[in-house]
This record gives sequence, structure tokens and C-alpha cells, in this order.
Amino acid sequence: MKLDFAKMFLGVSALSLMASAAVAQEKTLTINSFGGAYEEAHRACIITPFEQETGAKVEIVTAYSADAFAQVRAQKDAPQFDIIHFSGGQEIVAATEGLLAPIDAAKVPNLANVYDFAKANVAKGEGPAYSIAAIGMIYNTEKAPSAPTKWTDIMDPAFAEHLVLTDISNGYGMLGFLMINQVNGGTLENIQPGLDAVTKLLEAGAIIVSKSPEIQQEFAQNDAWLAPYASDYGYTLRKAGLPAGFVQGEEGTPASLITVNMVANRPNEDLALKFIDISVSPEAQQCFADALRYSPTNSKAELSAEVAADVAYGEDGVKGLLRFDPIAIEANRAAWVEAWNKTIAR
Amino acid sequence: MTDRLENMALVMPGLLLLGLAFILPVLQMLVLSVSGPDGFTLEHFTRFLSDSYYLGILWRTVRLSALITLITALIGFPLAYIMAKSGPRLRLWLTLIVILPLMTSVVIRTFGWIVLLGRSGMIPSMLRDLGLVGRSFSIIQTESAIVIGMVQVLLPFMTLSVLGVVMSIDGRLEEAARTMGCSFMKTIRTVVLPLSLPGIVAGGLLVFTLSASSFVTPSLLGGSRIQVLAGSIYNAVTQTLEWEFAAAQAVILFVGVALVLVPYLSVAGRRNG
Repeated sequence: MKLDFAKMFLGVSALSLMASAAVAQEKTLTINSFGGAYEEAHRACIITPFEQETGAKVEIVTAYSADAFAQVRAQKDAPQFDIIHFSGGQEIVAATEGLLAPIDAAKVPNLANVYDFAKANVAKGEGPAYSIAAIGMIYNTEKAPSAPTKWTDIMDPAFAEHLVLTDISNGYGMLGFLMINQVNGGTLENIQPGLDAVTKLLEAGAIIVSKSPEIQQEFAQNDAWLAPYASDYGYTLRKAGLPAGFVQGEEGTPASLITVNMVANRPNEDLALKFIDISVSPEAQQCFADALRYSPTNSKAELSAEVAADVAYGEDGVKGLLRFDPIAIEANRAAWVEAWNKTIAR
Repeated sequence: MTDRLENMALVMPGLLLLGLAFILPVLQMLVLSVSGPDGFTLEHFTRFLSDSYYLGILWRTVRLSALITLITALIGFPLAYIMAKSGPRLRLWLTLIVILPLMTSVVIRTFGWIVLLGRSGMIPSMLRDLGLVGRSFSIIQTESAIVIGMVQVLLPFMTLSVLGVVMSIDGRLEEAARTMGCSFMKTIRTVVLPLSLPGIVAGGLLVFTLSASSFVTPSLLGGSRIQVLAGSIYNAVTQTLEWEFAAAQAVILFVGVALVLVPYLSVAGRRNG
């Protein structure tokens, strides 16, 4: 059933793409974005400046990473996207399958100032990361006895009944859990130390939520003091009038990289490279950080002190960023979710 | 056109709808539940039935559904009786009040309960101020929260089913019982209750099946730590993408509900026969 629906959807989007391609063959760039507030910021910070500078038109298809990857894979022989954005590490698989075109760093001048880890494999086709969701600790600046500084502070009994964990069905929840696992001695091959830690935290009174709005609710109504989560959500809480601060744990900051990739075998290569160049430019990244508090990957991006406090910024902030292998996460997801569900079940 | 053909023509749209929208998907689900990488397999069923975690989820689903059915019957029967005995205007208002919960979105209704039952909600803070419970007491994310939320949603199904039957009971039967010396309670017990049993059975059926398959209310009020079968199926479909396992769980839910309902119906049928 799902497959049929996906095919239908592909058919419809392919038709609309062909129609638009016929109107302006050379001057249209087709990309995906993630909808909602993200797409708004994407448009304001990257897409509109790109259109103004090049005179080209950008067609946006709203598709999350997994969907977008499925579409790119299905269209392998007749690709319809020029640029594809991923947030879950799909570019690694896509590059090995030859779906993405290698990027010539010489044609993307802004790439020179992008942190190395964010552009490690551009020559293989894995596009550069243009923003980062950093997972750290969101805490209540008024009520928490002291600001947390390291991940092991989560185990501090002072937070016991005021700790909010996020279910690993949530992408950020997964990264936060893997970090708790790591500081308790676990690895991606063995998550038992993490599960044991979670059992202890739950016995001490921690709460588990499954969706991000519930974190806001816990902070607003239920006296929550500490929650491992993404930096952009700390900003969401503050905008809602809650006393929320964000800190990166000393042991490291799991990062969810949002990458911009060039699809292979498309005619508009120069235009696509220009789009990538604008995506990784300092201006675009400042704009993104201002709007949503995603961390920039361009070392030349200059943030105001207020924004910088909320993201992984500067040499110190970026030094601790780490990336759990997205392929290992995908391979183990089903087993981990089951083990997690059994651990938290009452 | 003969009568037979006319009847067939009349019943066709309904049959088609049932076939396309119900029987076909159920058959697909059955097929999916026994398919593995190498064709036919029962591994999804053995995985579920040999794991105490999943058996616990099944048991909780059945247990909570039975409890919810019992509570709706205990509240719904007296309510329906009073509605039947009151004047038409009052009955209209009472009916409106009973079905009002169905007119709001399930999410909004459930968030209302979260506000009332949460850690800083009205009820736990009241109990805390009275010194009856500890500081971190909360009703949300417990089985009680699921039962409370579900009873509210499902009460109309029970009340209205019973109401229809109670309304049709001849009032003179009760008068006769009273003149023969029955007390009010005894009249209820020996005359009204047995006669309204078909309504209670029908209402119970609706409430039990609806609560066994409900998903939104338990997942919001129970949280991710208290799983029911419908939530577990949802997880398998959307998170771990194990569709075959999800189908197997759905078949088990279906069979589990049927196993409870068949004896229930046959007992109830004998009583009424």
C-alpha cells in the first residue's frame, strides 16, 4: 500500500517537475526542503539570495531525508532533483550508490572556510554540511541547582525527579541516548551500559517523552530542570518565555549534520555548485543560526554573543562535535528500539 | 427485475465497500503476517508469543479494556436509566452532555486530561496540598490515566446503547413489581437490569473493541513507558519498519479480542434466549 502511494506521489511530482522543466530548461533548480519553519528560514537565508544572484528559479519539493533518499534512488536513471538535502546521514549511502555527483572544491570557493569534518568526503560525492543540530543539555536556568557541565551530570541525584529523557524513536532522542551510553562505557556495538543508566535514571524519577512539544510542556508545567536535546529546541523554549539555557557536555556534542548534495547526471551542474556555495557561505549560516539556532559549519560565520551562546560555535564549541556513524544507527535501529522499549516498560 | 435481483442490487454498494475497504486489507494483513524473506513463516508469531514483554502488552490491553468496559457499564446503566425516566427536555440536555466529549478532537480532549492529571495539574497538586501524596506524584503516565481518559470517550457508546433498550421497557412492569412489594433496588435488579441486558451487551461490545484498538489516548496519557498493543503496532509500522511483525501483532489483537468476545456473546445470548 505504502509503495503504491509512494509511486503515485513520485509520478505526480515527476509530472510537475517535467512541466516546470519544459518552461525553463536551464534556469530552474529543483531541490528538497523540510517544510515548516525550517523551509521558511531556508528560503530566506539561502534560496531567495540564490535566486536574486543568479536569476534562476528554485523549485522546492518538501520531503524529509528518508523520503528524499527514496525518491533520488527511485529516479536513478532519470533524476529530477538537482540538489538534495539530508539530515540523517543518507548522503553516505547515496554517494556509494553513485546517486550523488562529486564536488570539485575549486568551484565552491566558500568551502575553503568550512570545518574539515563538515566537508570530509565531498570529492566522493558526500555533500558538505551547511548546518548542524548540536545535541547538548537544555536546563532550567532559574531552578536547576547548578548548570550542568558534563554528560555525567545527568546522573546527578539533584536532577533525579526533574530530568526529561526523549524516546529514541525521535532522532535527537537517539543521539542523546547514544551519548549517555558512551559516557557510561558503552559503544555502538554495546548499548547495554546506556540502557542500565536509563533504568537507574527512571528509578530515580526521570520522565520519558516521545515528542519535542512534550519537553516544552514538562518545562512549562511539570517542573522539569534538565533535558538532553538539540540546541535549536532550547531556543524554542526561550521564545516561549521559559528560562531555558543550552550547554554542550564536556565529553562531546553529538551532531546531526544537515548536508547539501549535488545529484548526479543533471544538466545544471554549475548552478547547483553555486547553490552549494551560497549554502555554506558565512552570510547564509549566520542567517540560519539567527533564525533557528542551528550551528554554522563555516568558520568565518560571525554570530552575535546571544546567538553564539545557543549553538556550537567557535573553535572550542566545534572541537567537541562528534558524529555517531549513521550507517551503524540505521543497521541497529530496530533492535535498539526494541531493547529500549523493554527497558523503559513498566 | 426479480425481487432477488433487486435485493442484490440494493446490497451491492454495501458489499463492495465492505469488500474493498475491510476484507481486502484484512486479507493482505493476514498474508503479510506470515511472510518472511523465504516465503511462509511463523517467526513473527513465535517472536511475539515467546517474549514476556509482548505478552505483557497483550495482557495489559485486554485487562484495561475489560476494566474500562466494566466502569462504563457501572456509570452508563444508572445514567441511562435516569435519562429514560426524565422528561424529553432534560433527556435532550443529558444526551448532549454525554456525547459532548465526542464532539471535540481527541487530542484536545486528551490534553485537557494532561492539564488536570499532570504533575502540576489540579488534581495531583490538590492531593499534595492535603498531604495525601508525595512530591512527585502524578496520575499522568499511569494506567489509571488511560482508564480515566478512555472511560470519558467511550461512555456515550455504553449510555446510548443502554438508553435505547431501557426506553423500550414497558413502565407497567416496574409498577407491577412495586405493587407486588419489591423495593426500588429490587425492581431494578430483578426487572430492569435483566431486560436491559441486550443494551449492556451491545454497549460492552462497542466499548471493549474500541478500547482494545485505541491508540491516541493511551499513547498520550500512558506515555511511552506504558505500551498497549495498538501503540506497539504503530511503533513497528512507523519506527522500526517491521511491517510483517506489525501485521502479526494486529492478527493477535484481532484473535485476542475475538477470543474474549465469543464466550461473552454466547453467555449473553443464552441469558437473553
